Amino acid sequence: MLKWGKKLLFFLFYLFLLSVLVFVISRLSPGDPLVSYYGERAEKMDAQEREWAENRLGLRDPIPVQYVRWLENALQGDFGISYKYKMDAAEVIRGRIGNTLLLGGSGFLLIFFLALWLGVFCAWYEGRWVDRAICSLGTVTSCIPEFWLSLVFILIFAVNLKWLPSSGAYSVGKAEDVGDRLWHLILPLSIVVMTHLWYYAYMIRNKLLEEVRADYVLLAKSKGLKRSKVMVKHCLRNVMPSYFSIMAIAVPHILGGTYIVETVFSYPGIGTLSYESARYKDYNLLMLLCILSGALVLLCNLAAQAINERIDPRLKAGEFLKEPGVEDEGRGV
Amino acid sequence: MPGLLEVNHLSISFFTPRGEVEAVRDVSFSLNAGEVLAVVGESGCGKSVLCKGIMKLLPPIARIKSGSICINGTDITGYGERDMQRLRGKLFSMVFQDPMSVLNPTMTIGAQIGEAVKVHQPRIAKKELTEKVIGFMELVGIDKPEERMKMYPHQFSGGMRQRSVMATALAGNPKILFADEPTTALDVTIQAQILDLLRDVQKKLGTATVFVSHDLGVVARVADRVAVMYAGKIVETGTVEEVYYDPRHPYTWGLMRALPAFSKGQDYLYAIPGMLPTLIDPPKGDAFACRNEYALAIDYREEPPLFPITDTHYAATWLLDKRAPRITAPVRRWKDE
Repeated sequence: MLKWGKKLLFFLFYLFLLSVLVFVISRLSPGDPLVSYYGERAEKMDAQEREWAENRLGLRDPIPVQYVRWLENALQGDFGISYKYKMDAAEVIRGRIGNTLLLGGSGFLLIFFLALWLGVFCAWYEGRWVDRAICSLGTVTSCIPEFWLSLVFILIFAVNLKWLPSSGAYSVGKAEDVGDRLWHLILPLSIVVMTHLWYYAYMIRNKLLEEVRADYVLLAKSKGLKRSKVMVKHCLRNVMPSYFSIMAIAVPHILGGTYIVETVFSYPGIGTLSYESARYKDYNLLMLLCILSGALVLLCNLAAQAINERIDPRLKAGEFLKEPGVEDEGRGV
Repeated sequence: MPGLLEVNHLSISFFTPRGEVEAVRDVSFSLNAGEVLAVVGESGCGKSVLCKGIMKLLPPIARIKSGSICINGTDITGYGERDMQRLRGKLFSMVFQDPMSVLNPTMTIGAQIGEAVKVHQPRIAKKELTEKVIGFMELVGIDKPEERMKMYPHQFSGGMRQRSVMATALAGNPKILFADEPTTALDVTIQAQILDLLRDVQKKLGTATVFVSHDLGVVARVADRVAVMYAGKIVETGTVEEVYYDPRHPYTWGLMRALPAFSKGQDYLYAIPGMLPTLIDPPKGDAFACRNEYALAIDYREEPPLFPITDTHYAATWLLDKRAPRITAPVRRWKDE
């Protein structure tokens, strides 16, 4: 209990730190928040009108004062309105988060299982040409930046071949059409998967290759177990704890990739929203998005830690002392 | 009638980037049902490679270069992985040197023993499987098997782990058990227990055993026959009595003199001078010649054949040639002890 209390305290502390940093940096960086609120009109305003507008949005006060005001409201659950959308920031996010969860979530699940499969596949054919070919290809795809690959894919599949749509989450008027949504998901999803997959598959492959050289494999083999069984039941089992914890940390990693891909594909999700809010100084929206993303990263790291402790029996140190019948050695030394 | 296991002129090499390592060179021996054959020699002389080579558990860089392995007269030298899987566990299995690392740390002991039972009886009922596992744990002397089968290897002591490894090895009722230095990683008091256990179980089940060790003293307790290996070759072989009471090869003498018991009353422990030659390009002639106080000129030029002393006792040393000078063994007879 005490341990979790401590973790919660750190969690809140980090969130606070993050909010201060984002708040200060966003306000100090160049850009005009009035443009996002008043649109083109802001450019034609004279000094008096600007002053009035800035006062109205509370942007004239010193940054610390602004921050304290923001924090007070935020603690009461009010994160302010989005300048651009003129409604509650939370409301704006609620409308978009489903799209991101669909893209990021399905991307994450695909990466999780494909990486596992690909890693085992490569480890199985270690050193053979398939393994070597996949390794080289994987290194290339994982090194290509998402935005560049997205553009190339749009050029090939949307512009030249006209097979797939180049942007958006659905065609106009077809928001409820599941097939149409999946149709729009194909390109961004394949970019997210392609650029992240190898990173995790390679980890599985290398960990497995370490495991197949371990001594316990000899005993497992000498029992007469099949190679596939040794690989899956013994080696993979030893890899899974670290895989789970890595995949927990991978959530923010993959989500970060999703943000970029969303922006390129103008996919109406959190990523596009974050980009817009940062670009156009939509302060309140930006703050809430950063807090949410930050909380997710922290939570995933905590989950990774918890998984790690839970899953590997050796990490539950001290517990065996409680087991009966170990202290009295007797015949079984 | 062919023996249970017949190894004829077996040579195994590791093809490393630095060259071919001839780990086992022209080894022949046979093992009869229910018999214990001890393979003795210092570290790195090819004992483990021989056992793992027979079970085909070596990494892919190792290859059987020549010779044959026969089981009950059937040649299994050319068997692939799939055929070997069918033999492993059931025909032969292995107890390894280090019980700390050969058990899977994330599986319970019971699951690991059960797996070995299940390989050859895939349709066994769960209850029966548990009973069998408990039976094997009792066989190897693990107390309270019902509780302990649910424990993980890290909750076991070294001796208990080695017992568990033995239970796994025996779970398929193998005809042949390879025990690859099963006591080396354990401390002395537990070594004795494990040796006794090995002998007991071997007598109870009649499993033929190849017992690998570097300790002649240990071997005397368990073996029927002994093969002394040096630099990948068998240099002397015979029954325990023959090899202990009448050793003929200078290397066997060296091993015996190196036993602490033989240095009783002296100021220092004897050690064989020098070290094993590298097995990449082994030396011409007798590989032991340069460490041998009794080496003859011919030892450096020509490899000695195995000279028969009795029907069962052979030694590969030119000292047994008719023309060689007579040399009395520099070891006190075992009987005098």
